[in-house]
Amino acid sequence: MTHDLLALLALLSPLVAAVVLFIIAPLRVRGAVSAALTIGATSVSLVASVLLAAARMFGATAPNVDLQLAWLPGGAQTLATVGVYVDPVAAPMMVVVALVALCVQVYSVGYLGHEPSRDRGRYFAYHALFAFSMLGLVMAPNLLQLFVCWELVGLASYLLIGYYWTKPSAGQAALKAFWVTKFADMGLMLGLMVLYVKTGGFDWNVPVGQALMTADAETIAGLFFLAVVGKSAQFPMHIWLPDAMEGPTPVSALLHAATMVAAGVYLIVRAYPIFMLAPTVLTVMVYLGAFTALFAAVVAVFQDDIKKVLAFSTCSQLGYMVAALGTGSMVSGYFHLTTHAFFKALLFLTAGSLIHAVHSNSLHDMGGLWAKMKPTGILLIIGSLALAGFPMTAGFFSKDLILEELLHAGHYLPLGAAILAAGLTAFYMTRVVMLSLFGAPSEAAEHAHESPAVMLAPMVLLAVLALAGGLLHGDFARMAGVEAAFHVTPVGVVATLVGFSGIGLGLWRFSPGRRTAIGTQWVSAPMRLLTWLTASKPVDVFFAGFYRQAMLRAAAGIAWFDRYIIDALINLSGWAVLRGAERFRELQTGQPTDYVYAVVGGLIVLTAMGVFTA
Amino acid sequence: MMHELTATLRPILATLPLLHIVVAAPFVGAMLLLFINDSRPTTVRVIGVVASAISMVASFAIAIAYDMAAGGVQMTSELALVPSLGINLSLGVDGWGVSLLILTGLIMFAGAWASWTVKTRGREFYLMLLVLVTGVFGVFVSLDLFVFFLFYEIAVLPMYLLIGIWGSSNKVADAGPFKFIWKLLDIGGKEYAAMKLTLMLLIGSALIVAAMAAMYIEAGSTSFDLRHLEKTRFSLGLQLWAFPALWVGFGTLAGIWPFHTWSPDGHASAPTAVSMLHAGVLMKLGAFGVMRIGMVLLPEGAREWAWLVGGVAAINILYGAFAAMAQKDLKYIIAYSSVSHMGVVMLGAATMTVNGWNGAVYQMFAHGLMTGLFFALVGLIYEQAHSRWIPDFGGFAKKQPYIAAFFTLGCLSSLGLPGLAGFVAEWLVFLGAWQSPHAWWAIIGLLGAWITAIYVLRATRRIFWGPAPDEKWTDIRDPRGTEWVALWMLGLALVLFGAVPSLILDFIDVTTVETLPRVANAALEVLR
Repeated sequence: MTHDLLALLALLSPLVAAVVLFIIAPLRVRGAVSAALTIGATSVSLVASVLLAAARMFGATAPNVDLQLAWLPGGAQTLATVGVYVDPVAAPMMVVVALVALCVQVYSVGYLGHEPSRDRGRYFAYHALFAFSMLGLVMAPNLLQLFVCWELVGLASYLLIGYYWTKPSAGQAALKAFWVTKFADMGLMLGLMVLYVKTGGFDWNVPVGQALMTADAETIAGLFFLAVVGKSAQFPMHIWLPDAMEGPTPVSALLHAATMVAAGVYLIVRAYPIFMLAPTVLTVMVYLGAFTALFAAVVAVFQDDIKKVLAFSTCSQLGYMVAALGTGSMVSGYFHLTTHAFFKALLFLTAGSLIHAVHSNSLHDMGGLWAKMKPTGILLIIGSLALAGFPMTAGFFSKDLILEELLHAGHYLPLGAAILAAGLTAFYMTRVVMLSLFGAPSEAAEHAHESPAVMLAPMVLLAVLALAGGLLHGDFARMAGVEAAFHVTPVGVVATLVGFSGIGLGLWRFSPGRRTAIGTQWVSAPMRLLTWLTASKPVDVFFAGFYRQAMLRAAAGIAWFDRYIIDALINLSGWAVLRGAERFRELQTGQPTDYVYAVVGGLIVLTAMGVFTA
Repeated sequence: MMHELTATLRPILATLPLLHIVVAAPFVGAMLLLFINDSRPTTVRVIGVVASAISMVASFAIAIAYDMAAGGVQMTSELALVPSLGINLSLGVDGWGVSLLILTGLIMFAGAWASWTVKTRGREFYLMLLVLVTGVFGVFVSLDLFVFFLFYEIAVLPMYLLIGIWGSSNKVADAGPFKFIWKLLDIGGKEYAAMKLTLMLLIGSALIVAAMAAMYIEAGSTSFDLRHLEKTRFSLGLQLWAFPALWVGFGTLAGIWPFHTWSPDGHASAPTAVSMLHAGVLMKLGAFGVMRIGMVLLPEGAREWAWLVGGVAAINILYGAFAAMAQKDLKYIIAYSSVSHMGVVMLGAATMTVNGWNGAVYQMFAHGLMTGLFFALVGLIYEQAHSRWIPDFGGFAKKQPYIAAFFTLGCLSSLGLPGLAGFVAEWLVFLGAWQSPHAWWAIIGLLGAWITAIYVLRATRRIFWGPAPDEKWTDIRDPRGTEWVALWMLGLALVLFGAVPSLILDFIDVTTVETLPRVANAALEVLR
C-alpha cells in the first residue's frame, strides 16, 4: 500500500510541477521558482524511487506495484489501461532516471544562470515534463503506455533541442530529431497493432508459444526494433543525434546520453519476452549493434567538437547495449545502460563545464585547461576512464560482461568489432582529455574559470557512481535470476589490453610535444575522404536528398495537380454552365414574330404527335 | 463519486427540455438580434456570447443527463409537422450525438468570443453565425430524416453570406491546362470561394435528397423517422446506389477526395469564427451523415462500398498532407490539413470495427477542437500581420510567445502526439484499420501522420522560430482580452480530452456498440 503511494508520488510529482509551470505563467517566468519547483519534484521522485528500488534489489523481494486505471474503452470493455508498475526491472531504471535528472537540473541552475529569467523558467518546465514522461515510460504497466510516454520524451527532446529557438541551426536540429524518431516510431505503432490483433492486449508478458507464434513474434520484435533504431540512434538513423547537440549541454547529458536515447534499449528490456521468441531479430540486433559501436567510434575519433565526440560515443555505446541484448543476455545490456548513464552524463556535464569556461564547443579553443580547472579536469578524466573501460571503473564491469556474452553466443565477428571499438573509445577519449586539458592554452582558455559549486556537486556525485557503479554488477545479475560473480576471463583481459593500447596511443599521438595538427586536419587527402565517409555524411546526404527530392517534390506536384487539374475541372464545369447559359439566352430574341413562329410550329408538332399516336 | 453525482443530477435534468434548449438558444438569440440597433455593438456581442453559452451549458447538461448504462436514443420528444407525409419534429440524442453536441457547444462559444473584433456589420454577422449553429445542433439531435436534412441545409446556407460579405480574397496564379477559365471566373476572390462552396455542397444535397426520397418510398411512404427506417431492410438494389449517393452527398461536406476543393478556398477566404465553425463542426456534419444515415440505414450498401470509402479516405490522408506541405499561405495549410484529417474520420468509418468507429467519431471531436484552435490563431496572426504568407514570417515567437505555444499545441495534436486528443482518435482508427480486411489502410494512416509532423512543424519553425522579426513586423503582439478565451478553452480541451479520453469516448462507445452489429453483420447473401 505504501509502495503504491510511493510509486504514484514518483510519477505524479514531476507531472504536477509541469502542469503548474505550463499553465501558471507568473510562476514560470520567474526562473528561480520554476527551477525550485522542478528540482523539488524530481527530488521527491528520486527519494520515492530509491525506496522502491531498495525494497526490490540487494536481495529484498517486495511484491510488484501494479496500479492500473481504465483509459480507453472499446466495445463496452477496456481497450487500454494506464497506471504504475514497479518490478525489479523497472526499479533500478527509475533510480537512474530520477538521479541523473536531478543532477542535471541542479547543474543547469549554474549553467544557465546568465540566461533571462523567463527562458530559464521555460527550460525547467520542459525538464519537469521530461522527468514525468521518462518515469512514465519506465513505470508503464503495458506497452501502450510505454509508447505514449515514448512520444512524450520525444516531445521534450524536440522542445529542449530547440531551446535556443532564435538560432536557425537549433530549429533545424529539433525538427530533424523529431522527424527521424517519429518515422521510426511508426514501427512501434505497427508492432503494437500486430501485438493487439494477435494477443488482444498490449502486455509484454504474452503466454509463450500459445498466443504468439514465432513468426508473429519476429514481426512484432522487428517492428519494435525499428523504433529502437530511431530512438537509440543506431545506424542508419543515428543522424539526428549529433545534430541534437544544438541543445544546451545539460540537455545533451540527460536526454541525449543518459536516459532518453536509452529508452530504446529499455523497450527491448521490457519487451524481452517477445524478443526472446524472435531469434532472427536478435541476430540482427547483434550485428547492427556491433556495427554501430564500431562505426560511431571511428567517427568520434575525427570530431573536433567535444559534444560531437561524445554524441558519436553515445551512439557507439548504445550499439554495445543493443548487441548485448541481441545475445539473449538482458542483464549485460541493461547493466551497461545503467553505468553508461552515469559516466556519459558525467562526461557531458564536464564538457559543459569546459564549454562554459571557453564559450566554444571546439577542441581547438580548449587546451591547457588543467591549470585553470583542476576539479573539472579530474572529473573529465574519471569519466573518460570509465568510458574507456579502465579496470575497476563501472564501464569496465559492464563492457566486460557484454564481450563475454558475445563470446558465449559465438558471435565472433561482432565480438571483434566490439573489442576494436573499445580500443578506439579509449583512443578518442584520451584525445579529448589531452587536447582540452593539456598543452598550450588557446586564447579563450586564458580567461577560463572553474565552474561554481552548484555545477561541480552533481558532477562529483556522478563521478562516484561512475567509479563505483560496477559494484551493482551482482545485483543486476540476480534481477534476471542468475548468480554471477565477477571473474577474470581471457576476453576481458584482451579487451583491457586493447583499451590500454588505445590510451597509450592517444597519449603518444596527442602529447603536448606532438600535437602539431589535430582533428580533421591531421590527415592526408585519402584520409579526408575517409573522414567524410565516416562522419556519417553520406547517410545525412541520403536522407536530406530523400526529403528534398522525393517529399517536397511530391508535395509540390500534388499541390499543382490539385489546383490546376482537379480544382480546374470543377471550375471548368462552372465555366461550361455559364457559357452554355449565354448560348441558351440567345433563344430569347425579343422579336414577337419569332415567338409566333415558335407557337405555331409547336402546335403543328403536337398535333402531328397526337395524330400518329392515336 | 462522479457517477453518484451524475445519478443524483439526472432526474432533475430530465425534467428540462434540454434538447430544445440547445437548439433553440442560438435561434432565439438570432431573433433577438433583429431588434437590436446596429449602434450598440456590445449588446450584439453579449447576446451572441450568452446564446452560445446557454447552448454549451445545455450540451454539458445533456451529457450528464444521458444514461450510459441504458444507452440508445434518449430524451426523445415528438411534434407533428406534416402528419400526412409522416414528418415530425422528433428529437433525441445518442452517444455520438452527445459528444458532437459538446464539440459544437465548445467551438461555438469560442467562436463567439473570437468574433468580438468583427468591425463591419457585427449584428448581421452574429445573426448568421447563430442561425448556422442552430442548424448544426439540430442535425445532431434530429431523429427524423426530413428534419435532419432541413437542419443540415440551415447549417450550410448562411456560409454563403458569411464568406461572401465578411471574407477575404486571395489571388491564385493562373496556370495549368485550363488557364482560360481564369478570365471568366474570379478565381481566388471571396465571392468565388463562397459561390464554389455553396454550389458544391448543394450538388451534394441533391444526391442526398434523391437517396432520401427513395428510402422513404421503399420504407412504405409513411414516416421519415430514423427509428422506423432502421427497422426497414432496404433492397440491395436500392442500397447499392443510395449509399454511394449519400456518401458523395454528405462526403462533399466532409471533404472527400476529389470533392474537397471547396474547402481550401472556402476556409482561406472565410473570417476567423466562420473557419472555426466550418472546419471545426460543419465538416463533421458530413462525416456524421455518412455514418449515421448512410452506414446505419444502409448497412449492406455500406459493406459493399467499404473498399471505396476507405480507399478514397486513404487518398485523402496522403493527398491532403502532401498538398498542405506545398502551401505557403498559412490558412491553406490548415485547410488542406483538414482534408487530410477528415480522411482519418472516413477511414475509421470504413473499417467497420469498434475501434475504427470509436476513433472516427473521436477524430471528429478532436479535429474539431484542434482546427478551431488553429483558425482562431491564424485569425489573430492575420489581424496583426495583415498577411498569411509564411515565407515573409519568422521569429514571431519573440513577440507572440503565447500564440507560438498554442500553435505548437495544435500542431502536436494534429500530428497525433500522445497526451493530446488527436492521438487517441488516430490510434483507434489505425488500430481499427489494422483489424479490418484492409490492413494497408493503417500503414497509409501512419505515413500520413508522419507527413503531418513534417509540414506542421516546418510551418511552426518558419513562422515562430528563428531570429527576431525585422522592422516590418512591429505591430504583432500576443492576444488581449477577449482574444484569449478561444485559445485557452480549446487548448486546454485538447489536453484534457487527450489525457482522459474516456470523458467523451465512453459516450461514443455506447452508440458504436449498439449500431455497429447492424453493419458488421450485414447479410449481403440473404438480400442477394
